[in-house]
This record gives sequence, C-alpha cells and structure tokens, in this order.
Amino acid sequence: MALLELAVSTLTQGLIYALLSCGVYITYKILDFPDLTVDGSFPLGAAVTAVALTAGVNPYLTLLLALAAGAAAGLVTGLIHVKLGVRDLLAGIIVQTALFSINLQIAGSNLTVERGVATIFTAGPTMALFGGLSLLYRKLVVALILTLAVKLVLDAYFRTKSGLLLRAVGDNSTLVTSLARDKGSMKILGLTVANALTALAGAVVCHEQRSFSATMGAGQVVFGLAAVIIGTTLFRRVGFVKGTTAAIVGSIIYKFCIQAAISLGLPANLLKLATAVLFLLILVAGSARKKGGNIHAGAAARSENL
Amino acid sequence: MKTKKMIKTLFAGLLCGLLLLALTACGSSTPVIGISQYGEHASLDNCRIGFLQGLAEAGLTEGKDYTVDYQNAGFDDNVAIQIGQRFSANNVALMCAIATPSATACYAAAEDKDIPVVFTAISDPESANLTGGNVTGTSDKLPVTAQLALIRRLQPEAKTIGILYTTSEPNSVSAIAEYEASAPDYGFAIEAIGVTAQSEVTQAADALLARGVDCLSNLTDNNVVGVLGAILEKTNEAGIPVYGSEVEQVKLGCVAAAGIDYVALGRQTGQMAARILRGEAGAADIPYETISEYGIYINSAALAELGITLPEDVAQTAVEAGAQ
Repeated sequence: MALLELAVSTLTQGLIYALLSCGVYITYKILDFPDLTVDGSFPLGAAVTAVALTAGVNPYLTLLLALAAGAAAGLVTGLIHVKLGVRDLLAGIIVQTALFSINLQIAGSNLTVERGVATIFTAGPTMALFGGLSLLYRKLVVALILTLAVKLVLDAYFRTKSGLLLRAVGDNSTLVTSLARDKGSMKILGLTVANALTALAGAVVCHEQRSFSATMGAGQVVFGLAAVIIGTTLFRRVGFVKGTTAAIVGSIIYKFCIQAAISLGLPANLLKLATAVLFLLILVAGSARKKGGNIHAGAAARSENL
Repeated sequence: MKTKKMIKTLFAGLLCGLLLLALTACGSSTPVIGISQYGEHASLDNCRIGFLQGLAEAGLTEGKDYTVDYQNAGFDDNVAIQIGQRFSANNVALMCAIATPSATACYAAAEDKDIPVVFTAISDPESANLTGGNVTGTSDKLPVTAQLALIRRLQPEAKTIGILYTTSEPNSVSAIAEYEASAPDYGFAIEAIGVTAQSEVTQAADALLARGVDCLSNLTDNNVVGVLGAILEKTNEAGIPVYGSEVEQVKLGCVAAAGIDYVALGRQTGQMAARILRGEAGAADIPYETISEYGIYINSAALAELGITLPEDVAQTAVEAGAQ
C-alpha cells in the first residue's frame, strides 16, 4: 500500500512538472534556445496563483492568470533577444533576474494559502467529478488531465502551419527565411508558449503545495533539460513517440529517480550524487541499446541527442 | 521489434525503480517519526538533536517506542516536497519539520491523511499559515529587544547598527521590521541592506561598512549566516564588532549574542511530539509555542580583539561560547 501510494504521489509530481518540461522541450529541442527564463517564470506562476487564491479568485481561473503571466515573461525574453539582439543565454538571465524581484513584489513575501481555500484539487467541480477519490488519487487524476490536455494541444499545434514553421526555426532556420517568414517572431512565439507552460507548472505546484516561495525556481532549468534529454534519449529510436510524450516521460523518470534516491536512505548530503548516478545509468542504458556495434555511429547519435 | 524491446526495457527499469522504493518503504509495527530537515546547518541540526532529546526526556525510547526516518532536502524546495510525500505514503505517525519550506511541504503532504505535523525553527507560523489544523510546533522568533539592550551595554557610544538580510526570507523581513520599530527606544538607527543570493552578501557587507555603521547584528538568515566567516574577516579588519543571533554564530567569532538555544527549542518540540504520539493531545489542540528564554553568549577572544570590555553584570550571566 505504502509503495503504491508513494508511486502515485511521485507520478503526480512527474506529471505536474511535465508541464514545465514540455515548455523546455519547445525552447531547447525545437528552437535550440537555452532558455534560462524558466527559473523565474516557474515561481512567477506560483506567485500569481498564491495571490489570486488568497484573494478569492476562482481556482481554475488562476491557471489562466498564470499562463498569461508566464507568456508575458517569455515574450519579454523573446523581445530582448530578437529585437535588442542580446544573446540567448543572457536574455534569459536578464528576465530571470528581474523576475526574482517581480515575484516578490507580486506575492509580498513567501506566501502560503490556507487549507480552507479551495484549489483545483478540492474545488466544487473537481469534487463533483472525482469526489469519490481520496485527495492523493484526485491529485493524480487532475494532474493527468491537465498534462494530457496540454500535450494534445501542443501536438495539434505542431501540425499546423505555424507549428511547422516553429519546428523549422531550430532545425533549418534558412528554410524559414526562404519562405519569407521572420524567424525572430517564431522564436518569440516559442518562448512565449514555453514560459506560459512553465508558469502553469508553477501554478499547479502552488495549488498542490499551497505555497509560493521565492526560491522554488532554483534549479528548474536543470530539471527541465534533464527531463527532456532523458525522455528523448530513451525514445530516440521509436519514431512514433512524440517529443511531448518524451518530455513527459522524462519528467516522471526524473521524479522517480529523486524519490528512489531519497528512499535509498543514504546520508542526506549524498542525495544529489545518488540522483546523478541514477540519471547516468538511465542515459547509458538508453544509449547502449543500439543495433549493431558501430561505435562511431553510436557516439555520433549520442552527441546529437545529448 | 525494436519498439517492443524498448518498451520491455522501460518496464524493467520502472520495476527496478519500484523495487528500490519497496526496500525502504516497508514499515514495521513501531510508529515512525519522519523528520524533514530543510538542509544541513548548525542551528537546524541542533533543532533535530534537541527534538530527539525531548522525546527521550518524555520517556520514549528510540527503537522501542518509535523509529526515525530522517531526511534532508539539501535546501531544495522540490526535494522537500518529495520527502513529505514519502512520509505520507509510508503512513508515518508524525512528521517533524525543521524550517519553513519543509514544514509547508510536510503539511501539504499530510493533508489527505491528516497526519500530525510538528514544526520547529519557524519564526512566524501565523504568516506561514501553520496554525489551524493538525499542526503545531515551536517558533524561533528572535529576542530583538534583548539584543538591542545587549549592544547598548557593550557599545554605549554606538549610533547605527548594520544588518544584512535576504529579501526573500520572510523570517528576516519580519525581523528587520521589528529591529526598525524597537531601535529608537535604545537610541539606535538601523542600516539594513537586502540581498537576493548568498553570492551578494560580502558585497553588501562592504557597502554597510562604507556607510560607517558602528556594529553589525545578525538575524537567523541562512544566506548571511552561511558566509559569516567572510563577513567577519572584513569586519575584523575594519574593527567593527558583529553580534550574532544564536550560539553557533558566537562560536564562529561574533562578539556576543542574545539568542535562542536551538537545542532547547528542539527539546521543547520533542516534548510536544511525545504528547501527540502518546495520544494525550492532538496537534490541533496544542497551540504553537514561542521560546521565551534566551541566553547571552559571548566570545571573549573576539571581544578582546576589538577592545570591548564586558560590564560586570553582563559577564556574570553570559555563557562563554568562544574557544577557551
């Protein structure tokens, strides 16, 4: 029982943070843009949500507010990079740094939401549908619905004309230019969507944890990159698996690794080391499964993916 | 074919992961206390040591009456969340949360099963919303007026007190407000500089010294205390004394402190937990407690180096915390 519950809550975490890894998938894998805005837009979503929930805003509406706030953050990063010509890494750093102060301005300070306040996991409509489930399973179902919805919308978008152009920006930006499209505006669009998703992840975490803390964004870029790389490495040879699925699976695996490292009962200070070893094992296992023994081809494929 | 193999391997991997979890998830019949500590830090460690002492003083024996599952988040909020979930899944009898991020994570994880949460080392349980429900604990609010009185005794001529703090730590922000409210009563003005990260602390210390403060006073601010050694190097060179906020900082070289004994705070918390474990009271029935006593700690070597003489009456009650 305990094991099942632990698996359920870890899976829930993986699904919630998958919203963020889908965002990072867009910037890192599709746009080839290392976006550091994430460390700021993730807590931004949580800050907006904490304030809105405390003020009595409808819990479902807070998700839209967070999406809008995150989109604005991504838009700013995009504008700074494309219009002002600031390098990609630096544009992200600038916005991330600014957001640290902005988040604190929005929330006042670290903010917690009382248990009495309804969240997307406890509000009326959720209870009407899934009231029979315990909170643990309700969280899983709601997270699953949200993540699947985002995945399906993204997949559908990638098939549209605009989505195809977006995918071309990272792979072959000359093509975009030759089609008389502005690759700059496609980059801005991608960053906007990615950070909207990141802020949505922050919002759901805030609903789940009932708190916003200014430092909750630390390390989220690293998490997002790790999740995307783990996911895409594992599914590299499976053609039909979509990138969004890979990002979601990567996020779930990441959270299971952390929980496994915690559960190993190692001395606390070795937690990160244990996590790192688990990641390495997964990546090596993922890369080792290769038809034939052509080392060079394998290495080339690896370096292309990592 | 490849796909099949891939899926097989994936499942094998997941199974291995689950087994790994199973190894430690199996419970025994003795109630488990899950201790979630935010990070390794002398004050927080003292809380945990005190907590276990408090349980022992209340007559509970580890191994017989309870077992401990101690976890440490390494100052990572996201890890703190997963630690809380582990405790909840394992149906621990009680969660002990040390420092605010761990407490909010444990409290969120305990919501479904209504597992009691006992916190410690939280300055403001009210603003952290840790007052209603199946939760109680101890608060480590700083004895600000006692500290101001101490500084006045040791430096009768001093006018301004410099304070470094992290703007995102609510504990620090509320302490600054209290310093600013009480300082005029003791004839002081406060010069506070806020930072956002540990890497900015030493620069901020330079800025404070440049403003000509007469001394520095510390809060229990994790970022600032983490680089106390570097701050002390600068202040010693400038001949400016630094006052700590608890005994560990005085051991490191602060001249003196009117501060909390975190082991005592932990003991008090452990005794509360013992009452809950025995079923004498629910966490919801026990209001959180603020430690009222504080100790005066001094570091004679540091005082001598800065040429500060200790008044006779202060010397009598003070505890030497520096190297003998």
